[in-house]
Amino acid sequence: MSALAETFCTFIVRQTDARSARVIDFDKLSGGAIQDNFGLTLELEGGSRPGRQEFVVRQDAPSGVTESLSRPEEFRLLEAAFKAGVTAPEPLWLCEDPQVSGRVFYVMSRAAGSASPRKLVKADFTTQQRRNIVRRLGAELARLHTVRPPQGSLEFLELPDGDNPALSRVALYRRYLKEIGEPQPVLEWALNWLEDNAPEPGPTVLCHCDFRTGNYMMDGDELTAVLDWEFAAWSDPCEDLGWLCCRSWRFGADHREVGGIGDKQDLLDGYREASGTDLDPLAVSYWEVMALVRWAMIALQQARRHTSGQQRSLELALTGRMVAQMEFDLLNQIQELEDGL
Amino acid sequence: MINQPETGDLLTEARQVLLDSVAPELTGERKYQALMVANAMGMAIRELEQREQGRPEQTDQTVRAFLAERALEATAGDFETALARAIEGRCLDGTDPALRSVLRSLTEARLQINNPGYLKR
Repeated sequence: MSALAETFCTFIVRQTDARSARVIDFDKLSGGAIQDNFGLTLELEGGSRPGRQEFVVRQDAPSGVTESLSRPEEFRLLEAAFKAGVTAPEPLWLCEDPQVSGRVFYVMSRAAGSASPRKLVKADFTTQQRRNIVRRLGAELARLHTVRPPQGSLEFLELPDGDNPALSRVALYRRYLKEIGEPQPVLEWALNWLEDNAPEPGPTVLCHCDFRTGNYMMDGDELTAVLDWEFAAWSDPCEDLGWLCCRSWRFGADHREVGGIGDKQDLLDGYREASGTDLDPLAVSYWEVMALVRWAMIALQQARRHTSGQQRSLELALTGRMVAQMEFDLLNQIQELEDGL
Repeated sequence: MINQPETGDLLTEARQVLLDSVAPELTGERKYQALMVANAMGMAIRELEQREQGRPEQTDQTVRAFLAERALEATAGDFETALARAIEGRCLDGTDPALRSVLRSLTEARLQINNPGYLKR
Protein backbone atom coordinates (compact mmCIF):
# COMPACT_ATOMS: atom_id res chain seq x y z
CA MET A 1 0.00 0.00 0.00
CA SER A 2 2.71 2.49 0.97
CA ALA A 3 4.74 1.50 -2.11
CA LEU A 4 1.71 2.45 -4.18
CA ALA A 5 1.48 5.78 -2.31
CA GLU A 6 5.14 6.47 -3.13
CA THR A 7 4.51 5.58 -6.79
CA PHE A 8 1.65 8.07 -7.04
CA CYS A 9 3.66 10.65 -5.09
CA THR A 10 6.61 10.36 -7.51
CA PHE A 11 4.23 10.70 -10.44
CA ILE A 12 2.69 13.88 -8.99
CA VAL A 13 6.12 15.35 -8.20
CA ARG A 14 7.03 14.92 -11.86
CA GLN A 15 3.76 16.52 -13.04
CA THR A 16 4.05 19.54 -10.73
CA ASP A 17 7.85 20.01 -10.92
CA ALA A 18 7.90 20.00 -7.12
CA ARG A 19 11.34 19.95 -5.45
CA SER A 20 10.19 17.31 -3.01
CA ALA A 21 7.08 15.73 -1.54
CA ARG A 22 6.00 13.80 1.53
CA VAL A 23 3.04 11.42 1.83
CA ILE A 24 0.87 12.65 4.72
CA ASP A 25 -2.03 10.28 4.27
CA PHE A 26 -3.02 7.46 1.92
CA ASP A 27 -6.13 5.32 2.15
CA LYS A 28 -8.45 3.30 -0.03
CA LEU A 29 -11.84 5.00 -0.38
CA SER A 30 -15.09 3.05 -0.33
CA GLY A 31 -17.24 2.37 -3.37
CA GLY A 32 -16.49 1.10 -6.82
CA ALA A 33 -16.24 -2.59 -7.68
CA ILE A 34 -14.71 -1.78 -11.05
CA GLN A 35 -12.34 0.95 -9.92
CA ASP A 36 -10.13 1.52 -6.92
CA ASN A 37 -10.21 5.02 -5.48
CA PHE A 38 -7.41 6.19 -3.21
CA GLY A 39 -7.27 9.32 -1.08
CA LEU A 40 -3.76 10.80 -1.15
CA THR A 41 -2.61 13.79 0.88
CA LEU A 42 0.82 15.19 0.02
CA GLU A 43 2.99 17.99 1.33
CA LEU A 44 4.57 19.39 -1.83
CA GLU A 45 7.54 21.74 -1.81
CA GLY A 46 7.79 24.13 -4.75
CA GLY A 47 6.40 23.42 -8.19
CA SER A 48 2.97 24.33 -9.55
CA ARG A 49 0.96 23.19 -6.51
CA PRO A 50 3.00 23.91 -3.38
CA GLY A 51 1.76 23.11 0.12
CA ARG A 52 -0.60 20.48 1.46
CA GLN A 53 -2.65 18.97 -1.37
CA GLU A 54 -5.46 16.44 -1.24
CA PHE A 55 -5.95 14.21 -4.25
CA VAL A 56 -8.03 11.23 -5.31
CA VAL A 57 -6.33 8.63 -7.52
CA ARG A 58 -8.66 6.43 -9.51
CA GLN A 59 -7.47 3.28 -11.24
CA ASP A 60 -8.89 0.00 -12.54
CA ALA A 61 -9.47 -2.62 -9.85
CA PRO A 62 -7.56 -5.91 -10.20
CA SER A 63 -10.75 -7.65 -11.45
CA GLY A 64 -10.44 -5.53 -14.59
CA VAL A 65 -14.14 -5.78 -15.40
CA THR A 66 -14.83 -3.23 -18.11
CA GLU A 67 -18.57 -2.67 -18.22
CA SER A 68 -18.48 1.09 -18.22
CA LEU A 69 -16.05 3.70 -19.49
CA SER A 70 -12.29 3.29 -19.34
CA ARG A 71 -10.21 5.56 -17.11
CA PRO A 72 -8.93 7.72 -20.02
CA GLU A 73 -12.52 8.11 -21.28
CA GLU A 74 -13.69 9.06 -17.81
CA PHE A 75 -10.85 11.59 -17.53
CA ARG A 76 -11.93 13.24 -20.80
CA LEU A 77 -15.53 13.39 -19.58
CA LEU A 78 -14.43 15.04 -16.35
CA GLU A 79 -12.45 17.56 -18.39
CA ALA A 80 -15.52 18.36 -20.52
CA ALA A 81 -17.80 18.68 -17.47
CA PHE A 82 -15.29 20.75 -15.49
CA LYS A 83 -14.78 23.07 -18.47
CA ALA A 84 -18.56 23.51 -18.75
CA GLY A 85 -18.61 24.79 -15.17
CA VAL A 86 -19.95 21.68 -13.45
CA THR A 87 -18.78 21.28 -9.85
CA ALA A 88 -16.86 18.12 -10.66
CA PRO A 89 -13.51 17.09 -9.17
CA GLU A 90 -10.80 18.88 -11.15
CA PRO A 91 -9.17 16.31 -13.46
CA LEU A 92 -5.43 16.86 -13.06
CA TRP A 93 -3.27 14.19 -14.68
CA LEU A 94 -3.91 11.00 -16.60
CA CYS A 95 -1.28 8.26 -16.65
CA GLU A 96 -1.82 5.86 -19.53
CA ASP A 97 1.54 4.15 -19.05
CA PRO A 98 0.77 0.91 -17.15
CA GLN A 99 4.47 0.64 -16.25
CA VAL A 100 4.05 3.38 -13.62
CA SER A 101 1.62 1.70 -11.18
CA GLY A 102 0.69 -1.49 -13.01
CA ARG A 103 -2.60 0.01 -14.23
CA VAL A 104 -3.94 3.07 -16.00
CA PHE A 105 -4.92 5.77 -13.50
CA TYR A 106 -5.72 9.44 -13.16
CA VAL A 107 -5.43 12.04 -10.42
CA MET A 108 -8.12 14.54 -9.52
CA SER A 109 -8.72 17.06 -6.76
CA ARG A 110 -10.39 15.80 -3.59
CA ALA A 111 -13.62 17.50 -2.53
CA ALA A 112 -14.62 18.08 1.09
CA GLY A 113 -17.69 16.54 2.70
CA SER A 114 -19.63 13.33 2.32
CA ALA A 115 -21.69 11.64 -0.37
CA SER A 116 -23.57 9.40 2.10
CA PRO A 117 -27.20 9.40 0.93
CA ARG A 118 -28.69 8.38 4.28
CA LYS A 119 -26.81 11.12 6.12
CA LEU A 120 -27.95 13.70 3.59
CA VAL A 121 -31.59 12.61 3.52
CA LYS A 122 -31.75 12.63 7.33
CA ALA A 123 -29.96 16.00 7.67
CA ASP A 124 -31.84 18.71 9.53
CA PHE A 125 -31.98 21.27 6.71
CA THR A 126 -34.32 24.26 6.75
CA THR A 127 -36.87 24.64 3.93
CA GLN A 128 -34.71 27.36 2.37
CA GLN A 129 -31.59 25.19 2.52
CA ARG A 130 -33.47 22.37 0.80
CA ARG A 131 -34.65 24.72 -1.92
CA ASN A 132 -31.12 26.03 -2.45
CA ILE A 133 -29.61 22.56 -2.66
CA VAL A 134 -32.21 21.36 -5.17
CA ARG A 135 -31.88 24.52 -7.30
CA ARG A 136 -28.13 24.01 -7.29
CA LEU A 137 -28.62 20.43 -8.52
CA GLY A 138 -30.74 21.82 -11.36
CA ALA A 139 -28.07 24.40 -12.19
CA GLU A 140 -25.32 21.76 -12.23
CA LEU A 141 -27.29 19.68 -14.73
CA ALA A 142 -28.03 22.76 -16.84
CA ARG A 143 -24.30 23.50 -17.08
CA LEU A 144 -23.49 19.88 -17.96
CA HIS A 145 -26.18 19.87 -20.66
CA THR A 146 -24.46 22.75 -22.48
CA VAL A 147 -21.99 20.11 -23.72
CA ARG A 148 -23.41 18.91 -27.04
CA PRO A 149 -22.18 16.63 -29.81
CA PRO A 150 -19.97 16.57 -31.75
CA GLN A 151 -17.05 16.81 -29.30
CA GLY A 152 -13.73 15.49 -30.58
CA SER A 153 -12.53 14.44 -27.12
CA LEU A 154 -15.79 12.54 -26.45
CA GLU A 155 -16.03 10.64 -29.74
CA PHE A 156 -16.08 7.33 -27.80
CA LEU A 157 -19.67 8.13 -26.71
CA GLU A 158 -22.26 6.73 -29.11
CA LEU A 159 -25.16 8.84 -30.27
CA PRO A 160 -28.67 7.50 -29.56
CA ASP A 161 -30.32 5.57 -32.42
CA GLY A 162 -32.56 7.69 -34.61
CA ASP A 163 -31.83 10.76 -32.49
CA ASN A 164 -34.43 9.45 -30.04
CA PRO A 165 -32.80 8.63 -26.69
CA ALA A 166 -36.04 7.31 -25.15
CA LEU A 167 -36.83 4.80 -27.90
CA SER A 168 -33.16 3.94 -28.11
CA ARG A 169 -33.23 3.05 -24.39
CA VAL A 170 -36.43 1.00 -24.80
CA ALA A 171 -34.80 -1.04 -27.59
CA LEU A 172 -31.69 -1.55 -25.46
CA TYR A 173 -33.69 -2.76 -22.46
CA ARG A 174 -35.70 -5.13 -24.65
CA ARG A 175 -32.37 -6.63 -25.75
CA TYR A 176 -31.28 -6.92 -22.11
CA LEU A 177 -34.51 -8.77 -21.21
CA LYS A 178 -33.97 -11.19 -24.09
CA GLU A 179 -30.41 -11.86 -22.94
CA ILE A 180 -31.53 -12.41 -19.34
CA GLY A 181 -34.16 -14.87 -20.60
CA GLU A 182 -36.46 -14.87 -17.54
CA PRO A 183 -40.15 -13.93 -17.82
CA GLN A 184 -40.59 -10.32 -16.66
CA PRO A 185 -44.22 -9.42 -17.43
CA VAL A 186 -44.25 -6.17 -15.45
CA LEU A 187 -41.09 -4.91 -17.13
CA GLU A 188 -42.39 -5.93 -20.59
CA TRP A 189 -45.60 -4.02 -19.82
CA ALA A 190 -43.63 -0.96 -18.65
CA LEU A 191 -41.46 -1.05 -21.80
CA ASN A 192 -44.61 -1.05 -23.96
CA TRP A 193 -45.86 1.95 -22.00
CA LEU A 194 -42.54 3.75 -22.47
CA GLU A 195 -42.62 3.01 -26.19
CA ASP A 196 -46.21 4.24 -26.56
CA ASN A 197 -45.79 7.36 -24.44
CA ALA A 198 -42.36 8.64 -25.48
CA PRO A 199 -42.35 12.46 -25.53
CA GLU A 200 -40.82 14.51 -28.34
CA PRO A 201 -37.07 14.20 -27.75
CA GLY A 202 -35.25 17.24 -26.41
CA PRO A 203 -31.82 18.25 -27.69
CA THR A 204 -29.15 15.55 -27.45
CA VAL A 205 -26.76 16.62 -24.67
CA LEU A 206 -24.07 15.18 -22.42
CA CYS A 207 -25.89 13.43 -19.57
CA HIS A 208 -24.28 12.14 -16.41
CA CYS A 209 -26.73 9.18 -16.30
CA ASP A 210 -26.07 8.40 -12.64
CA PHE A 211 -26.83 11.82 -11.14
CA ARG A 212 -28.55 10.93 -7.88
CA THR A 213 -28.30 11.40 -4.13
CA GLY A 214 -25.25 9.37 -3.13
CA ASN A 215 -23.24 10.45 -6.17
CA TYR A 216 -22.59 14.05 -5.22
CA MET A 217 -20.56 15.30 -2.28
CA MET A 218 -22.03 17.74 0.21
CA ASP A 219 -20.14 19.74 2.83
CA GLY A 220 -22.96 20.90 5.10
CA ASP A 221 -25.48 22.41 2.70
CA GLU A 222 -22.86 23.14 0.03
CA LEU A 223 -22.44 20.88 -2.99
CA THR A 224 -18.71 20.28 -3.42
CA ALA A 225 -18.44 17.69 -6.22
CA VAL A 226 -20.50 15.63 -8.66
CA LEU A 227 -18.98 12.15 -8.70
CA ASP A 228 -19.15 8.85 -10.61
CA TRP A 229 -19.06 9.78 -14.26
CA GLU A 230 -18.61 6.29 -15.70
CA PHE A 231 -22.14 5.98 -17.14
CA ALA A 232 -22.21 9.37 -18.92
CA ALA A 233 -23.81 9.31 -22.37
CA TRP A 234 -25.39 11.50 -25.06
CA SER A 235 -29.07 11.60 -24.17
CA ASP A 236 -32.16 13.69 -23.50
CA PRO A 237 -31.70 16.31 -20.73
CA CYS A 238 -34.74 14.92 -18.91
CA GLU A 239 -33.01 11.56 -18.43
CA ASP A 240 -30.74 13.11 -15.78
CA LEU A 241 -33.62 14.86 -14.00
CA GLY A 242 -35.77 11.70 -14.13
CA TRP A 243 -32.99 9.58 -12.64
CA LEU A 244 -32.46 12.11 -9.82
CA CYS A 245 -36.19 12.15 -9.03
CA CYS A 246 -36.75 8.38 -9.37
CA ARG A 247 -38.45 6.87 -6.30
CA SER A 248 -35.59 4.41 -5.87
CA TRP A 249 -33.20 7.25 -4.98
CA ARG A 250 -35.21 9.00 -2.27
CA PHE A 251 -33.81 6.76 0.47
CA GLY A 252 -37.06 6.54 2.39
CA ALA A 253 -37.98 10.26 2.10
CA ASP A 254 -40.57 9.50 -0.58
CA HIS A 255 -42.38 12.82 -0.24
CA ARG A 256 -39.27 14.72 -1.33
CA GLU A 257 -39.25 14.00 -5.04
CA VAL A 258 -35.75 15.23 -5.78
CA GLY A 259 -33.43 12.60 -4.32
CA GLY A 260 -35.17 12.69 -0.93
CA ILE A 261 -34.04 16.32 -0.54
CA GLY A 262 -36.65 18.68 -1.98
CA ASP A 263 -39.26 19.58 -4.56
CA LYS A 264 -39.27 19.10 -8.31
CA GLN A 265 -40.39 22.67 -9.02
CA ASP A 266 -37.20 23.98 -7.39
CA LEU A 267 -35.14 21.62 -9.54
CA LEU A 268 -36.85 22.86 -12.69
CA ASP A 269 -36.46 26.49 -11.53
CA GLY A 270 -32.74 26.00 -10.87
CA TYR A 271 -32.37 24.41 -14.30
CA ARG A 272 -34.20 27.27 -15.99
CA GLU A 273 -32.24 29.99 -14.19
CA ALA A 274 -28.93 28.48 -15.30
CA SER A 275 -29.93 27.54 -18.85
CA GLY A 276 -32.89 29.69 -19.86
CA THR A 277 -34.65 26.46 -20.79
CA ASP A 278 -38.00 25.36 -19.40
CA LEU A 279 -38.18 21.59 -19.17
CA ASP A 280 -41.56 19.85 -19.38
CA PRO A 281 -42.40 18.32 -15.97
CA LEU A 282 -44.33 15.56 -17.76
CA ALA A 283 -41.22 14.63 -19.74
CA VAL A 284 -39.30 14.44 -16.45
CA SER A 285 -42.03 12.14 -15.05
CA TYR A 286 -41.74 9.97 -18.16
CA TRP A 287 -37.99 9.64 -17.57
CA GLU A 288 -38.68 8.74 -13.91
CA VAL A 289 -40.56 5.71 -15.24
CA MET A 290 -37.61 4.99 -17.54
CA ALA A 291 -35.32 5.28 -14.50
CA LEU A 292 -37.29 2.60 -12.64
CA VAL A 293 -37.00 0.26 -15.64
CA ARG A 294 -33.29 1.01 -15.99
CA TRP A 295 -32.60 0.33 -12.31
CA ALA A 296 -34.57 -2.93 -12.62
CA MET A 297 -32.40 -3.90 -15.60
CA ILE A 298 -29.22 -3.14 -13.67
CA ALA A 299 -30.51 -5.19 -10.70
CA LEU A 300 -31.37 -8.13 -12.99
CA GLN A 301 -27.92 -7.99 -14.55
CA GLN A 302 -26.27 -7.87 -11.15
CA ALA A 303 -28.29 -10.88 -10.01
CA ARG A 304 -27.25 -12.69 -13.17
CA ARG A 305 -23.58 -12.10 -12.40
CA HIS A 306 -24.25 -13.98 -9.17
CA THR A 307 -26.47 -16.80 -10.49
CA SER A 308 -24.21 -17.45 -13.50
CA GLY A 309 -21.28 -18.00 -11.14
CA GLN A 310 -19.33 -15.16 -12.76
CA GLN A 311 -19.20 -13.37 -9.40
CA ARG A 312 -20.87 -15.14 -6.47
CA SER A 313 -21.95 -12.41 -4.05
CA LEU A 314 -24.68 -12.03 -1.43
CA GLU A 315 -24.95 -8.33 -2.23
CA LEU A 316 -25.54 -9.00 -5.94
CA ALA A 317 -28.05 -11.74 -5.09
CA LEU A 318 -30.02 -9.42 -2.78
CA THR A 319 -30.00 -6.69 -5.43
CA GLY A 320 -31.80 -9.14 -7.72
CA ARG A 321 -34.53 -9.50 -5.12
CA MET A 322 -35.08 -5.71 -5.22
CA VAL A 323 -36.61 -5.84 -8.70
CA ALA A 324 -40.11 -6.34 -7.25
CA GLN A 325 -39.75 -2.91 -5.58
CA MET A 326 -39.13 -1.24 -8.94
CA GLU A 327 -42.10 -3.14 -10.38
CA PHE A 328 -44.34 -1.99 -7.54
CA ASP A 329 -43.26 1.62 -8.11
CA LEU A 330 -43.78 1.23 -11.88
CA LEU A 331 -47.35 -0.01 -11.43
CA ASN A 332 -48.15 2.88 -9.07
CA GLN A 333 -46.33 5.61 -10.96
CA ILE A 334 -47.75 4.79 -14.40
CA GLN A 335 -51.24 4.70 -12.91
CA GLU A 336 -50.67 8.05 -11.19
CA LEU A 337 -49.39 9.62 -14.42
CA GLU A 338 -52.43 8.39 -16.32
CA ASP A 339 -54.73 9.67 -13.58
CA GLY A 340 -53.02 13.05 -13.91
CA LEU A 341 -51.89 13.13 -10.30
CA MET B 1 -39.98 -37.95 7.83
CA ILE B 2 -40.29 -36.17 11.14
CA ASN B 3 -37.46 -33.72 11.62
CA GLN B 4 -38.17 -31.29 14.43
CA PRO B 5 -37.83 -28.39 14.97
CA GLU B 6 -38.98 -27.36 11.52
CA THR B 7 -36.71 -25.57 9.06
CA GLY B 8 -38.61 -22.27 9.37
CA ASP B 9 -38.27 -22.41 13.14
CA LEU B 10 -34.52 -23.08 12.89
CA LEU B 11 -34.01 -20.22 10.48
CA THR B 12 -36.09 -17.81 12.57
CA GLU B 13 -34.06 -18.62 15.68
CA ALA B 14 -30.74 -18.39 13.83
CA ARG B 15 -31.70 -15.01 12.38
CA GLN B 16 -32.67 -13.73 15.83
CA VAL B 17 -29.30 -14.76 17.29
CA LEU B 18 -27.56 -13.00 14.42
CA LEU B 19 -29.56 -9.79 14.94
CA ASP B 20 -29.65 -9.76 18.76
CA SER B 21 -26.22 -11.07 19.69
CA VAL B 22 -23.82 -11.03 16.75
CA ALA B 23 -24.63 -7.91 14.72
CA PRO B 24 -24.48 -5.47 17.70
CA GLU B 25 -20.86 -6.54 18.28
CA LEU B 26 -19.86 -5.72 14.71
CA THR B 27 -19.05 -2.47 12.96
CA GLY B 28 -18.51 -1.23 9.41
CA GLU B 29 -18.32 -3.75 6.58
CA ARG B 30 -18.79 -6.79 8.90
CA LYS B 31 -22.00 -5.32 10.36
CA TYR B 32 -23.26 -4.61 6.85
CA GLN B 33 -22.55 -8.23 5.90
CA ALA B 34 -24.34 -9.56 8.99
CA LEU B 35 -27.41 -7.45 8.17
CA MET B 36 -27.38 -8.73 4.58
CA VAL B 37 -27.30 -12.30 5.89
CA ALA B 38 -30.24 -11.54 8.22
CA ASN B 39 -32.11 -10.02 5.27
CA ALA B 40 -31.55 -13.11 3.12
CA MET B 41 -32.65 -15.38 5.99
CA GLY B 42 -35.80 -13.28 6.45
CA MET B 43 -36.67 -13.84 2.80
CA ALA B 44 -36.14 -17.59 3.11
CA ILE B 45 -38.38 -17.71 6.22
CA ARG B 46 -41.17 -15.75 4.51
CA GLU B 47 -40.88 -17.87 1.36
CA LEU B 48 -41.33 -21.04 3.44
CA GLU B 49 -44.41 -19.54 5.11
CA GLN B 50 -45.88 -18.53 1.76
CA ARG B 51 -45.36 -22.04 0.40
CA GLU B 52 -47.01 -23.62 3.45
CA GLN B 53 -50.04 -21.40 2.81
CA GLY B 54 -50.14 -22.36 -0.88
CA ARG B 55 -49.64 -18.75 -2.01
CA PRO B 56 -47.42 -19.47 -5.06
CA GLU B 57 -50.13 -21.80 -6.43
CA GLN B 58 -52.78 -19.13 -5.82
CA THR B 59 -50.75 -16.57 -7.78
CA ASP B 60 -50.24 -19.10 -10.59
CA GLN B 61 -53.99 -19.72 -10.67
CA THR B 62 -54.68 -15.97 -10.95
CA VAL B 63 -52.39 -15.74 -13.99
CA ARG B 64 -53.76 -18.99 -15.49
CA ALA B 65 -57.38 -17.81 -15.19
CA PHE B 66 -56.49 -14.45 -16.77
CA LEU B 67 -54.80 -16.16 -19.72
CA ALA B 68 -57.59 -18.71 -20.14
CA GLU B 69 -60.24 -15.97 -20.32
CA ARG B 70 -58.29 -14.48 -23.22
CA ALA B 71 -57.76 -17.83 -24.93
CA LEU B 72 -54.01 -17.63 -24.41
CA GLU B 73 -52.34 -20.95 -23.84
CA ALA B 74 -49.63 -21.78 -21.36
CA THR B 75 -47.91 -24.96 -20.40
CA ALA B 76 -48.61 -25.84 -16.79
CA GLY B 77 -46.38 -24.03 -14.35
CA ASP B 78 -45.13 -21.59 -16.95
CA PHE B 79 -47.95 -19.06 -16.82
CA GLU B 80 -45.62 -16.16 -16.13
CA THR B 81 -43.61 -16.83 -19.31
CA ALA B 82 -46.84 -17.02 -21.33
CA LEU B 83 -48.01 -13.73 -19.82
CA ALA B 84 -44.67 -12.02 -20.51
CA ARG B 85 -44.68 -13.23 -24.14
CA ALA B 86 -48.27 -12.09 -24.67
CA ILE B 87 -47.41 -8.61 -23.37
CA GLU B 88 -44.20 -8.42 -25.38
CA GLY B 89 -46.08 -9.58 -28.50
CA ARG B 90 -48.71 -6.87 -27.92
CA CYS B 91 -51.48 -9.49 -27.68
CA LEU B 92 -52.89 -7.75 -24.59
CA ASP B 93 -54.24 -4.25 -24.00
CA GLY B 94 -51.81 -2.57 -21.59
CA THR B 95 -54.55 -0.34 -20.21
CA ASP B 96 -56.84 -3.29 -19.29
CA PRO B 97 -57.47 -3.05 -15.50
CA ALA B 98 -57.59 -6.87 -15.32
CA LEU B 99 -54.07 -7.09 -16.79
CA ARG B 100 -52.79 -4.51 -14.34
CA SER B 101 -54.44 -6.40 -11.49
CA VAL B 102 -52.66 -9.62 -12.50
CA LEU B 103 -49.33 -7.80 -12.76
CA ARG B 104 -49.92 -6.31 -9.33
CA SER B 105 -50.67 -9.76 -7.87
CA LEU B 106 -47.38 -11.11 -9.22
CA THR B 107 -45.40 -8.16 -7.89
CA GLU B 108 -47.09 -8.18 -4.50
CA ALA B 109 -46.51 -11.93 -4.13
CA ARG B 110 -42.78 -11.36 -4.62
CA LEU B 111 -42.74 -8.36 -2.30
CA GLN B 112 -44.48 -10.41 0.41
CA ILE B 113 -41.30 -12.50 0.39
CA ASN B 114 -38.59 -9.97 -0.51
CA ASN B 115 -39.69 -6.85 1.35
CA PRO B 116 -43.23 -6.83 2.79
CA GLY B 117 -42.63 -3.38 4.34
CA TYR B 118 -42.45 -1.92 0.82
CA LEU B 119 -46.12 -2.76 0.22
CA LYS B 120 -47.11 -0.15 2.82
CA ARG B 121 -45.37 2.72 0.96
